[in-house]
Amino acid sequence: MKILIVDDSNAIAMVVSEYIKELGFEAYHASNGKDAVDMISQEDIFDLILLDWNMPVMDGLSFLEFNQQNHLTKCPIMMMTTENKPEKIMKALELGALEYIMKPFSKEILELKIQTLKKAAA
Amino acid sequence: MDNKPVYPILAKFVFDNTGIFYGERDYYRLDSRIDKIIRELNLSSEDALIEHIRSGHDQEVKAKIVDICTNNETFFFRDQNPFNALKDNILPDFIDQKPMSEINIWSCACSSGQEPLSILMTIFEKYPNQTIKLDATDISKTILEKAKSGIYNSLEAQRGLPIQNLIKYFQQVENNCWKAKPELLNKISYGEFNLFSNNYPREKYHVIFCRNVLIYQNMENKNKILNKLYDSLAPGGYLIMGAGESLIGSSIELEQKSMAGTMVFQKKDRANKVAA
Repeated sequence: MKILIVDDSNAIAMVVSEYIKELGFEAYHASNGKDAVDMISQEDIFDLILLDWNMPVMDGLSFLEFNQQNHLTKCPIMMMTTENKPEKIMKALELGALEYIMKPFSKEILELKIQTLKKAAA
Repeated sequence: MDNKPVYPILAKFVFDNTGIFYGERDYYRLDSRIDKIIRELNLSSEDALIEHIRSGHDQEVKAKIVDICTNNETFFFRDQNPFNALKDNILPDFIDQKPMSEINIWSCACSSGQEPLSILMTIFEKYPNQTIKLDATDISKTILEKAKSGIYNSLEAQRGLPIQNLIKYFQQVENNCWKAKPELLNKISYGEFNLFSNNYPREKYHVIFCRNVLIYQNMENKNKILNKLYDSLAPGGYLIMGAGESLIGSSIELEQKSMAGTMVFQKKDRANKVAA
């Protein structure tokens, strides 16, 4: 399973990347929504996108809107953000995010969320 | 490992009051609990704890020690498969085949309440109008208070709970916590219950969830509790145990069935008994 982490924080990307590797998956990193668009446009190889909300250049919500309008990828998207208000969560779900992780979170929570998505896709 | 004098004395106390068995090789699991009991009861040492246990004590102190020595690990939709079995096999068995006005379910060691809430969310998704009576009990008064509150911090709320369920069935409250909505909490009757020593209701429940509880009992007590659970099951009712738990070594007559990737145990209904 190839997982793309879209987060402007290298520190967070590194920690999450370690979690992903420990769970037996491959981790990739894009620094913002625009980088993610470029990577996916080049090769749509990912099985899951973990998407931060607040990022420079193109934030997570703009990425979701871009994906919805341009059909960039059908890969499941899970928000991974400090934004935790119900109205924001609903907004992201409306725009196509399938799951949502509120920071801070544990490796176990990430694992359980990934398992849920995999079962739903099966 | 040190063989502290307090180990066998505390282990016997816990066994006598709960049936939970700490064998010698489990004594290390008492270490952090001993520290916590000493701290919370303001005792000076392990010797003081021994004296406390030997001298007899009030119900509140007993409850505190039982609270600390029981395992409250749980999370939403733990193991997932039992909930799929409930939704796709067990409930249809009762609701579609044998329509009835009310289904009685018991989460008999509900800990901080994630299991009964997961049961209700599962049922609401498929049978939103079904009348359910859900009893949720635990031996620990402290953990039961948390279950009754229905409040979970962000980490607890995210453990196993899909985001759609969080948004639909919970409301955000102070300190970034989430509280189960009244439509869930009002359907659950919470109460203290000691599986080891309380009297059980007879033939009441269509489904009993008793997961990861009996693994802490010795074989004799496991059998005693299983027999009482059997008596509490309505004819045709189902017992759901933890992943990997079985009836091996028990003589109770429950039929093992494989459903949704898990094993469940069904009591014969009266029609079957007559036919047999």
